[in-house]
Amino acid sequence: MSDSPMAQRLRITFGKQGSLKYTSNLDIAKVWERVLRRAHLPILYTQGFNARPRLQIAIALPLGITSECELLDVALREQVKIDGLAERIMAASPDGLYVYDIEEVAVHENALEREVESAEYSITFVDGIDIDGLRNQVENMLAQDRIMKVEYNRRGKKTAYDLRPLIHDMQVDDDGQLHIHVATGTRGNVRPDMLLTELGYGEAFVHIHRTKLHIRD
Amino acid sequence: MQPEVLERQLERVLLKVDKPGRYVGGEWNSVTKNWNEIDLKVALAFPDIYDLGMSNLGIMLLYDQINQQPDMLAERVFSPWTDMEDQMRQHSIPLYSLESKHAIRDFDLLGISLPYEQLYTNVLNLIDLAGMPIRSLERDSSYPLIIAGGHACYNPEPMHAFIDAFVIGEGEEIIVEVARLLQRMRGASRDEQLREVAKIQGMYVPRFYDVSYHDDGTVEAITPNIEGIPQRVLKRVVTILPKPFTKFIVPNIDTVHNRAPIEIMRGCTRGCRFCHAGMVTRPVRERPVDEVMRSIAEIVENTGFEEISLLSLSSSDYVYVHELTQRIQDEYKEAGLTMSLPSLRIETASSELLDRIGDTRRSGFTFAPEAATERMRDIINKSVSDEQVLQTARDVYSRGWRTIKFYFMIGHPEETLEDVQAIIDLCKAVLKEGRRILGMKANVNVGVSTFIPKPHTPFQWVSQDTSEQILAKQKMLKAQIWQERGMHLRWTDLSSSRFEGFLSRGDRRMADVVERAWQLGCKFDAWNDSHYHDRWLQAFEENGLSPDFYNHRTRGLDEVFPWEHIDVAVHKKYLKEDYLMSLNRETRVDCRDRCFACGILPKFTKLRQGTDEMAWECPPIKPVGERGKSAERTANVTLIN
Repeated sequence: MSDSPMAQRLRITFGKQGSLKYTSNLDIAKVWERVLRRAHLPILYTQGFNARPRLQIAIALPLGITSECELLDVALREQVKIDGLAERIMAASPDGLYVYDIEEVAVHENALEREVESAEYSITFVDGIDIDGLRNQVENMLAQDRIMKVEYNRRGKKTAYDLRPLIHDMQVDDDGQLHIHVATGTRGNVRPDMLLTELGYGEAFVHIHRTKLHIRD
Repeated sequence: MQPEVLERQLERVLLKVDKPGRYVGGEWNSVTKNWNEIDLKVALAFPDIYDLGMSNLGIMLLYDQINQQPDMLAERVFSPWTDMEDQMRQHSIPLYSLESKHAIRDFDLLGISLPYEQLYTNVLNLIDLAGMPIRSLERDSSYPLIIAGGHACYNPEPMHAFIDAFVIGEGEEIIVEVARLLQRMRGASRDEQLREVAKIQGMYVPRFYDVSYHDDGTVEAITPNIEGIPQRVLKRVVTILPKPFTKFIVPNIDTVHNRAPIEIMRGCTRGCRFCHAGMVTRPVRERPVDEVMRSIAEIVENTGFEEISLLSLSSSDYVYVHELTQRIQDEYKEAGLTMSLPSLRIETASSELLDRIGDTRRSGFTFAPEAATERMRDIINKSVSDEQVLQTARDVYSRGWRTIKFYFMIGHPEETLEDVQAIIDLCKAVLKEGRRILGMKANVNVGVSTFIPKPHTPFQWVSQDTSEQILAKQKMLKAQIWQERGMHLRWTDLSSSRFEGFLSRGDRRMADVVERAWQLGCKFDAWNDSHYHDRWLQAFEENGLSPDFYNHRTRGLDEVFPWEHIDVAVHKKYLKEDYLMSLNRETRVDCRDRCFACGILPKFTKLRQGTDEMAWECPPIKPVGERGKSAERTANVTLIN
């Protein structure tokens, strides 16, 4: 069975704030599906046994992390006007879901997930932090040539990989906030909490906020 | 604890627990009013986890009723799962509401939904987590008034010591009345408040009723100990079904029934003798199709849900089921909306109906023949023929669905091993039909639960099957179905049926057992892997009681039941007559075809006189000679020959 034709593809930049950070990526897709239905968007459904709306979130946001830069692609069965659309969608969104931008992208553009390369995060240490100590740790890590790690896949198979090239940048600002830029996506993925553990701050109570996604040109 | 402080505490624990989205609220359509501007605050609790509680229609109806009052607010609370409970106790976080994160202790009224008995220990745990004494008599009016409602409350006695007042019957209107009363009686003592609550029709306040017992442990009498309250508490009913609720809260996380329910009919006219719901939800009231259609439109608009569930005890008996399903299909097929129609009866699930509700997501259909021999079907008054079962199976399989699921019950009164063998034979015959049509792809799923005699039913007198009887029957089923290709067997764990049994027909003395079991660590008893039966047995023993007294004893015809003072409007005389008929294999037809004077009309004569003829399935109040329903109402029932 072939899918019915896509009339338009929209790319929505959205934020996930507040208590919505406790909603997993899978559940966020469902939240979106219902938001778009409430906003009367002509969503395109997949054909077949289990009809699903054709939505695609660029990259999973780990549970507990807020964001201002998530990307969602929506396939529509009819063209809609972009003008005023963000407001319409916001009006149908639950607390914590924000729409920052909507743009039209080519119908046959690559799958979003293949496009994301890296992400930037800001990490706030809620209980305060020894800024110099943190800076030291960060500099030490950045000074290394290789940071070999072992990873287990779902079937328990071990693989070794080098973490260092996946860390593009780390900086501590004067307020003690840690800003990181790390590889994200299908070709290498660094979770902020894992990096914190690596830095020796795994137990610290932090707020993590994703500020930017880098897309392959 | 102030909400801001509580929220900061929560942040530190939420990422340590499973599915933290259960504990934060903020969903679409949830209502958060300004706490400081609202006079009366109601917390509504479902005593199991969020994932289950969010599918409870009753809680949503009450939430809406209260929030419609400008000077009242309603907020939700559910049982935290054990990981979250540990965190809350460890960090001294009291039970709080999802909307404003206020401690439950700070509300005026706590309404608890009690649809089934397995939730009792969770109720105690909730009250304790809220930082309140669990016994009603130990809570003064500085604590929220705790009321409970739902089907389990038709025998409130095992919980009488913990709940201040029970809603008997349909709570849609009562809860606002109770809240208004509390508003008027601020500052009064709990006893004074409850004296007034007890005068509201449909409210039962256990402390104002005394129970005396015979030497053999059976109840001698139940009598009011204050003036001005009824000898028996008559259940409350709504004359016509209130307009359906359509602003459902849309969860931000996956839940058990993640869809919008619409009640299309309340009650059932069939009169199956084992069925508690069928007896306590009379009179049968149907919702007009236009109203259902308008509500669906509103629900789609308000929620964005992709599935609508049409609820009733017997959906295919809903007179307008064909018209309704056709209209839903016509209007919503393109919009990605699916409908589900649970509780289909074999004899009214016509092939036409199967076509219409058999959407693409469905893999098969479920039916509940309950028994497989004519004798057994006569005893339980659920008459379907083997041929009807087989024809339905052919209808389903020949439309390409591979799976039929059947619900049967074992442990019916008078059941023998031959009756159980007949279940196996019938399922095999169905599978054979399936294989003839679909080949080896055909499946039969067989769910066999254990019959539990329930209060207010014709079987309230009977003894529940003993463990030995049940085990022998289950062994037989397992031996012949379990390993069979294309057949899947599910059965109810023995201990969970014993447990449901003694709570269902328990008396006031059971309250001590419930409390002790909870102290011993029992909670989430409805979850098979967290039901610790030995602790319950220990609680029985420590209180000098025996489960057998409640489960395995045939009651005398004139025994006073622990729930005798709860009046569901169906005469005990009628139930007794029906019980005796079952012993003689006599059956009663659908009461739409003939009224058997169960007691609803004499109890609610005025209500019936004030309603439209078609609004109730009960005949209009007329001289006896003119009774009987007009023919057009029954003509819609589609029979498969």
